[in-house]
Amino acid sequence: MEGGSYREGAQERARDEFFSEAQELVDALTRDLLALDEAKRRGALRPELLNDVFRAVHTLKGLSSLFGAVVLSALSHELENLLDDLRMGRTELDDGVLDLLFKAVEAYGRILASEKQRGESGGDASAEHAHDEVNELLAELAALATQKGRPAEVLAQYAIDPAMLGVLTEYEEHRLRSAVESGLRLVRLFVRFPLSSIDASFDTLKDSLRAHGEIITYLPAGDDDGGAEERPVDAIDLEVIVASSRSVDELRVAVAAQTSRLDEIPRRVGRAGQKPSVPVEAESRPQVGLPDLSYAQEPSISDLSIEDMASVVGLPPEMQQALGLLPAQVELPAGASPGGASTRQISLRSVSQTVRVDIRKLDRLMNAVGELAIVRGSVQRLADTLRLGHDGAPATASSRRLGAELLRVHRMFERRLAELQQGVLDVRMVPLAQVFDKVARIVRQLSREHGKPTNFVVTGADTEIDKLIVEELSDPLLHMVRNAIDHGIEAQAEREREGKPATGTLALNAFQKGNHVVIEVEDDGAGIDPQALIRRAKARGLLTELEAQEMSAKEALALVFLPGFSTKDRVTDLSGRGVGMDVVKTNIAKIGGTVEVQSGLRIGTKVVVTLPVTLAIISVLAMGVAGYTYCMPLASMEEALALDPSQVRSMLGREVLSQRGASIPLVRLSELFVSHAHEVLDAPAAPRTLDKYVVITSIGNRRVGFVVDQIFGQQDIVLKALGPSLAGVPGFSGATELGDQRVALVLDVAALHEEVYGQSAERAKQLEAV
Amino acid sequence: MGHEPAPLPLDGVLEYLGFLLDGEGYAIPIEGIAEIMKPLPIAPVPRARREILGVMSVRGRLATVVSLRACLGLGPRRVDARTRILLVEAAQEDLGFLVDEVTGVFHVDASEVEPPAVLGADFGAHVRGAARPDGELVVLLDVTSLLPARAGEH
Repeated sequence: MEGGSYREGAQERARDEFFSEAQELVDALTRDLLALDEAKRRGALRPELLNDVFRAVHTLKGLSSLFGAVVLSALSHELENLLDDLRMGRTELDDGVLDLLFKAVEAYGRILASEKQRGESGGDASAEHAHDEVNELLAELAALATQKGRPAEVLAQYAIDPAMLGVLTEYEEHRLRSAVESGLRLVRLFVRFPLSSIDASFDTLKDSLRAHGEIITYLPAGDDDGGAEERPVDAIDLEVIVASSRSVDELRVAVAAQTSRLDEIPRRVGRAGQKPSVPVEAESRPQVGLPDLSYAQEPSISDLSIEDMASVVGLPPEMQQALGLLPAQVELPAGASPGGASTRQISLRSVSQTVRVDIRKLDRLMNAVGELAIVRGSVQRLADTLRLGHDGAPATASSRRLGAELLRVHRMFERRLAELQQGVLDVRMVPLAQVFDKVARIVRQLSREHGKPTNFVVTGADTEIDKLIVEELSDPLLHMVRNAIDHGIEAQAEREREGKPATGTLALNAFQKGNHVVIEVEDDGAGIDPQALIRRAKARGLLTELEAQEMSAKEALALVFLPGFSTKDRVTDLSGRGVGMDVVKTNIAKIGGTVEVQSGLRIGTKVVVTLPVTLAIISVLAMGVAGYTYCMPLASMEEALALDPSQVRSMLGREVLSQRGASIPLVRLSELFVSHAHEVLDAPAAPRTLDKYVVITSIGNRRVGFVVDQIFGQQDIVLKALGPSLAGVPGFSGATELGDQRVALVLDVAALHEEVYGQSAERAKQLEAV
Repeated sequence: MGHEPAPLPLDGVLEYLGFLLDGEGYAIPIEGIAEIMKPLPIAPVPRARREILGVMSVRGRLATVVSLRACLGLGPRRVDARTRILLVEAAQEDLGFLVDEVTGVFHVDASEVEPPAVLGADFGAHVRGAARPDGELVVLLDVTSLLPARAGEH
């Protein structure tokens, strides 16, 4: 956004704001709809949720209209009508309606994405499709709507008793709307008339009020009209709605003879400084209907702050609070609330406790902190040099003193840096809930589509993980969940035959385990038949006869991760392009995780995904091999010790270390890590003793010992990805810059384990075949 | 990597950076080059293909160091005082091409570029043509197609 005018910049910012606001609202809508669904299934009603959904849609309508997102606005408009019917009890929230709501929210999400793209790229690709979809939805909504009459949406802004609104005649409704649109004040009176003279009394009331306003309607007041004394049997209490331009006090005086109970029906809109009275002089007041501002009308958007826009649109203050947009000052008009409270002022500070941050800013922060860590290392080396001297120059007394002082300061630096690092990491962390909610919605949809009622259980949704990892998680998770519902959970009839509850259970569990987050997708379905897997692998030429015979059930389960493998012949539309578990595994590996399948035939299947908590900064052990430095992630490391040659044995053609009664396969990195670079580059100084240490690593319950020349120590590094041209090289998860521009490769321990154990199995089979 | 090189413009003056490999003249368009530098510390990537010498860190970013000699099928040659790295910042990756020696920038009119056929039958997509800025033949290369496709991607 360099070089644009300030106006363009402001417009761009306003647009970005719109998209994040809208997305948040859509997310909140999803959660609420899911909760409504859940409650409905339990047979409970949640009217306040319905009201929240209504208000969210109302806000969306306003926002969309303001930004010229015409499609969204139209959809919101119709949805709002439906939701109003629902919350007023005029329409029942049955499955069909709930489905429609879900579909609409999903359409929202898609339209938002396509509007965003359209703005960015100028292209119009998905707009057509989105329009069709919306038109369909609108038609469905209209069909529902024509069954009922409904009060004008504008009236929803007033705290009028819904029961009253419901019984307004068309004329009365029209009068009410008209009064509101003219900016008249709405006032409510409670009168008690003797039954015998009700007509006369009412006429008197009308006379009193004629000069001051218009009686819109009246209704027998309910018994709970607040503090009235016991009503005599021959009297009737009435609630009367009056529209007037006069102040509440004036009106009170006018009807004093007949009642003292009069108060204003609060209007839930307040533009800073504007009082909703005085209609005649039509100044520029916020319209109750929504202005149709579009991107093109520059002055409107770029001159208004988002707060102003929110007020213009008519968001109730509490909604604005929830969105984190409080207007600078909101003065409620005198007499607005019952009892005529004096003007209240809402403070400038947003009640919202969260801040939205662009992930790229976080990345830059992370990099800066990482570079700072490198600087810290240099400071430490400098301190050591001062204290201990370096070749050719022994330390003098004064340099030793300085060195000690520097070391002390360095320690403080180190502590603060660790705090800073942790703080930045924490900022990147988001709860898994955001992707779990998405999954929940899909589960609901899928289980309905397939007629497989499914009980969806989630635990640990508040487990936190790096934001970047979360983004990459949703596709693999969705795929696993689709598998579970499509292939895992059996049809009801079959489940009953098996003696299982008719409703299947799908559980999504997440928990932190050391430096990792574990996510499990578990179903109580049919399970996976290892024999079927083996048969299929053989049929596809992925296994030899011998291998098939030798394979254990546990190893067989891992077959699902082979490319091109699938246990069902047809490509169901659930699994889309027939994307297999191999893609899931690749995607999980991309974010530094591993995936494993466990299953019991007819019992169920559990897919376990293990992920690093954060990608960016990891703790490693720096090691030297043939003069070059390599990093071993501490997360996989068990211990490092001096290699005792007498403990090394040979087994099946491979070296193993005997340690405490166990045999650990050994890999001499100096042999494994061969490269042609030595033909071109000058070789670094080789250390005096080679293959001196062994670093023992573990993944799951398998261990491998890596033999190295040197061990330099532990440090935190910023992991940087290797370029695409190096993607095929096995065994490295990235590289990092050590001080003074040197680079160290970071080992991918899981991949190396695969190599070792894969090879061992190979070798074993070869030897047995002999 | 390994996609079709952009066709040479038909007119105008082209600016190239010339360098030597085994004493022979080559050149790539100057606009693709972010920096010409002396080699920084390079960490070899074991088990990478022959053309890739390793990785280096330039201003906090990783760059993959590629031997231009190996890309063209020439044998290895040790780094010396005249060796230079041509840093090319591509979309997904920074690449540093190692060359024996840099000769300098030259201009050539598009009309004077000779088509690749002039070099004989056997040449790859990376050769765009030839020019004779000061009499000597210089082979014009396209950097983006220099690095052969990844192993396993045929």
